[in-house]
Amino acid sequence: MSVTRPSLGKYICGMVASLAIFLAGGWLILAPFALGYQSYGADWVSQTTNDFVVGICVAVVALIAFALFFFSLLGSLRAAGVIAARSRSQAVAALAATPSHAAAAPVATSNQSDLDRTLATLAQALAADLSARRQTGGDLQTNPLTEQNITNRRDA
Amino acid sequence: MRAGEVMRRLVPPASYVLVLFFLTGVWLTMSPFAMQTQSSGQRWTTSTINNVTLGGILMVVSLLGIVVYMGFALRDLMREAQAKQLAEQTARAEAASANS
Repeated sequence: MSVTRPSLGKYICGMVASLAIFLAGGWLILAPFALGYQSYGADWVSQTTNDFVVGICVAVVALIAFALFFFSLLGSLRAAGVIAARSRSQAVAALAATPSHAAAAPVATSNQSDLDRTLATLAQALAADLSARRQTGGDLQTNPLTEQNITNRRDA
Repeated sequence: MRAGEVMRRLVPPASYVLVLFFLTGVWLTMSPFAMQTQSSGQRWTTSTINNVTLGGILMVVSLLGIVVYMGFALRDLMREAQAKQLAEQTARAEAASANS
């Protein structure tokens, strides 16, 4: 069975890029006032309006991109079983905190799932063995026929 | 794996957002000249320097994000294909040993 290794680099790279762009958007909003080409109280010049509008759009969309990359990362971790493993450990911790009567049922369910897994593996191995035996039996049945054909041809 | 699935994994929705940022960077770089707040041949004003610098940063960061993400995604796809081939070879070898 192949093991899926999650590669987190691509998501982290996307999240870092989104975060850097978010900071750039924040700077765009502040820049007209910080750099002094927009005086306080005066009407906004066209460059200030452009920077402000673009900065807000960039910051909002960067946050959305960050969320998209973050949820992709969560999905990858969930597919790899990391998040499920964590929730299982939390469940074990919760079981340790609860009384033994209440904990008996989930433990039995866990044991049952392990038993199911073992039985499924055993059934797969048996099926593979059975199919291999069938193939071997088929070969043995076909071989005498071919030998008989050869002898018939020789006789002819 | 189908070509559509490969493209979806190479270019996720978040990458389209990065493309949008690249276009925003292009606009930021050219906005002082497009909006005629910077006359050509004159010394650049503070706002022009700020916009051109930020536009360049946006373009570089978004392009880097897209390219690096695609590189990692391509590496993952190749690893998965290699693992699949290996599993198929192992299954064939097991079947051959079971037959013999």
